[in-house]
Amino acid sequence: MEIHRYEKIWFGVAVLLIVAFIGTVAYGAVGAGIEMVDDDGGTIDPNNLSDHERFGDTGVHQVGDGEFEVNMIAVHPSFIPNDIEIPEGSTVTFYMTASDVTHGFNIAGTNVNSMIIPGQITEITVEFDESGTYGFVCHEYCGSLHHEMEGQIQVVPEDEFGGDA
Amino acid sequence: MSSGTEHEASPDTLDEPDDVWEVDIEKQIGHDEYDPVGTLSLITVYFLIIAFLWVFMYFVEFLGRGPTVV
Amino acid sequence: MGVFAHEYPNEAGIVRAALASSFVALLLGGVMGLIQALHRTGYVQVIDDSTYYTVLTLHGVSLAILFSIFFLVGFFQWAVTDSLDRPSEDIRFTKLWYALMVLGSIMAAVPILGGFIDQTEISADVLFTFYAPLEAHPLFYAGLAVFIIGTWLAGIDWFRSWWAWKQKNRGEKTPLRTFMVLTTMLMWYLASAGVAIAVIFFLLPWQLGLVGGVNPLLTRTLFWFFGHPVVYFWLMPVYMMWYVILPKLAGGRLFSDPLARIVFVLFLVLSVPTGIHHQYVDPGISEGFKFLAMTNTMFLLLPSLLTAFTVVASIEHGARQRGGSGYFRWLTDLPWNRPAFTGMALAALMFAAAGFSGMVNAGMNFNYLVHNTLWIVGHFHLTVGTAVALSFMASTYWFLPKITGHKVFSKRLGLVQVVVWFIGMVFMSNAMHRIGLAGEPRRTADPFYDGVTFETSLGTISELHAQIALGSVLLVVSLLLFAAHILLSWFNFADKDAPTPDTIPPALSGPEHAPAVLENFRLWTAIAIGLILLTYTLPIAAIVSGNGWFGPVTTFIGDTSSFLTGLFHAVFGVIP
Ligand code: HEM
Ligand SMILES: [Cu+2]
Ligand SMILES: [Cu+2]
Repeated sequence: MEIHRYEKIWFGVAVLLIVAFIGTVAYGAVGAGIEMVDDDGGTIDPNNLSDHERFGDTGVHQVGDGEFEVNMIAVHPSFIPNDIEIPEGSTVTFYMTASDVTHGFNIAGTNVNSMIIPGQITEITVEFDESGTYGFVCHEYCGSLHHEMEGQIQVVPEDEFGGDA
Repeated sequence: MSSGTEHEASPDTLDEPDDVWEVDIEKQIGHDEYDPVGTLSLITVYFLIIAFLWVFMYFVEFLGRGPTVV
Repeated sequence: MGVFAHEYPNEAGIVRAALASSFVALLLGGVMGLIQALHRTGYVQVIDDSTYYTVLTLHGVSLAILFSIFFLVGFFQWAVTDSLDRPSEDIRFTKLWYALMVLGSIMAAVPILGGFIDQTEISADVLFTFYAPLEAHPLFYAGLAVFIIGTWLAGIDWFRSWWAWKQKNRGEKTPLRTFMVLTTMLMWYLASAGVAIAVIFFLLPWQLGLVGGVNPLLTRTLFWFFGHPVVYFWLMPVYMMWYVILPKLAGGRLFSDPLARIVFVLFLVLSVPTGIHHQYVDPGISEGFKFLAMTNTMFLLLPSLLTAFTVVASIEHGARQRGGSGYFRWLTDLPWNRPAFTGMALAALMFAAAGFSGMVNAGMNFNYLVHNTLWIVGHFHLTVGTAVALSFMASTYWFLPKITGHKVFSKRLGLVQVVVWFIGMVFMSNAMHRIGLAGEPRRTADPFYDGVTFETSLGTISELHAQIALGSVLLVVSLLLFAAHILLSWFNFADKDAPTPDTIPPALSGPEHAPAVLENFRLWTAIAIGLILLTYTLPIAAIVSGNGWFGPVTTFIGDTSSFLTGLFHAVFGVIP
């Protein structure tokens, strides 16, 4: 088979490029410590959420010094809870599931972005270092009012924080 | 086809779907006499753009913003 | 060789019918696109927010499924008949698969259209991804199944032609175009099995109440098993155009025939085991499987990067034969006044840009930046919305005379049309990418929230919305020009003569240099299946062991459900 020299060069460069891409992503995972959403949250029966120890008790819970857990149910067209307050510098683990159809969760302008699927628990941990208001939306079509599905996270300075909501 | 005289810009000939092969070829170039240097140049430019954009988007746009899932 | 329409009138009839169906879907879908773009940017809202999702379903289904696949089968029918130089083995069979595809389309379209009529219960507002437990009317799923069965029969038809050809031409290399068709169809059989299983074994039984429920992550995973390779199904006919037609239009010859074959084999082998890259941010799938899918995806860049080289080199060959010289100056020696060439070249340029946004999407954790934002929509309007759609439209200017038997209406009109599409898409897609980085979600009728604001670094969100709206208007103008042009050409209003028969010049490095093993379709299919088992067995086993084949079983006909579950376990073996 005749392959032109230039084409061989390009083949080599293309393979290098691919390896470099994979390398960058691996660095992001290991070096920068970015975790993927995975199966850690476990599964759940979407028809009996209220019996579940977590989702029978939705809302924000302080579990340690600067550590919070948010138990959230997505059900068209709302997030429960949809108004979350936490102090600056906290580490928040979100446990999210859906009782009806598939939803999404994206804190606008950040890298916090995941799916919420009935039967699965999405577990993600996020550090909020800067105070401010973070709006989040549902970014998966979930029904005729999908575009109304939103919420807010208020990250307030330590001294203004009202405590366990 | 005999009309080897199509003028690129002349609107009259625009409607003639003559085979480019029959009207415009000045010389036939075989495999061994052809070095695609233009392609190599273009693809080098493309490579540089992609590599730059990748680094910029990953390290500045993506890692530079937060919060992120940890 | 004479004109295709005269040599193979029956086959040309099928090709014409397929193209006509395709263009109807294109026009319908395009108008829906305009409604969406103007609605979600707030400029013109002629529909209710809730109807938006009916419109979007229609847009997705008619463009991503009907327009693209109808064009594909028409084009492939031509490619096989023309390159093997033999008629269909049984034209009734050819008509049968076409009729099935039409029937399936109508079955699927009826419930979608039902969504517009408040008085009826029938609807299918589930978008083209139909993620369960969203529910469409069963006719919708059945229609999709019938449509896909039609495409399967089409593949069988082409394999039959090839086998018959082989009997007469022992030891010869399969002509390039037929080789490309066959590898594409083999890939399609593997890919569409995913969605067929989802529909036949899970969604329809669930809807008809035969089983207790549905496991949303399972059907979603099966959808993406199909959903990624389907993009290659759209793309491979375009690659065929770029490899076979574009060089010729440029006045050159394909640089390397063997390399083109290798590229298609790579697509067959690598397309399917990548679908999990659409599920990077899904719960219930572990990071290891996601990383594996990413590795496959990244290596799937290879055939596209090789294509970029081969296609550009073939075009450059044309420019040099036309007297071009220099490192970049030869670009001016290309037939830019011809719509087929210019349209396809601009489509390829857009595809190069799409390559970059696709690399971002593919980058596992990088995907957090863009997942389900408008960036994604910007990305695939460059790929399927331009690389594919614009190539299909542009190639029609070259292709239509072959199947109608007379030249097209006006080249200049064609040129304007392809350039307007390109400009429109530059506006729309660029703005979509940027607004996506700000976090604006896709699939959203009214992305103006009480408590969420989107911020962009350069310019403002409303400027970006304006660009999306402007782009969409240009696109629809281009589309209407195309439709008018096709009508004028089809019915030969300008009374044009028959086209001069043309031939496709042989490749610079011909098929005789291709290693014989490339023709071993069994081997490549086996490797493809092996890779699929490697990437999918464990994730699917994990999904099923977590939540069952049919979701946490509810009471509804619980017995049937557990009986079927048992049956499945027996059939699928190992999984607890
Ligand atoms: C007339 C030109 C077009 C316009 C103005 C247009 C506009 C749009 C817009 C605004 C959306 C996003 C809707 C949303 O997420 O809320 C969209 C989605 C989409 N478009 Fe287009 N589009 C055009 C042509 C095409 C073409 C030619 C194709 C494919 C061949 C295509 C395929 C799609 C698909 C698959 C979706 C996603 C549907 C979904 O999310 O379910 N579009 N289009
Ligand atoms: Cu939603
Ligand atoms: Cu994909």
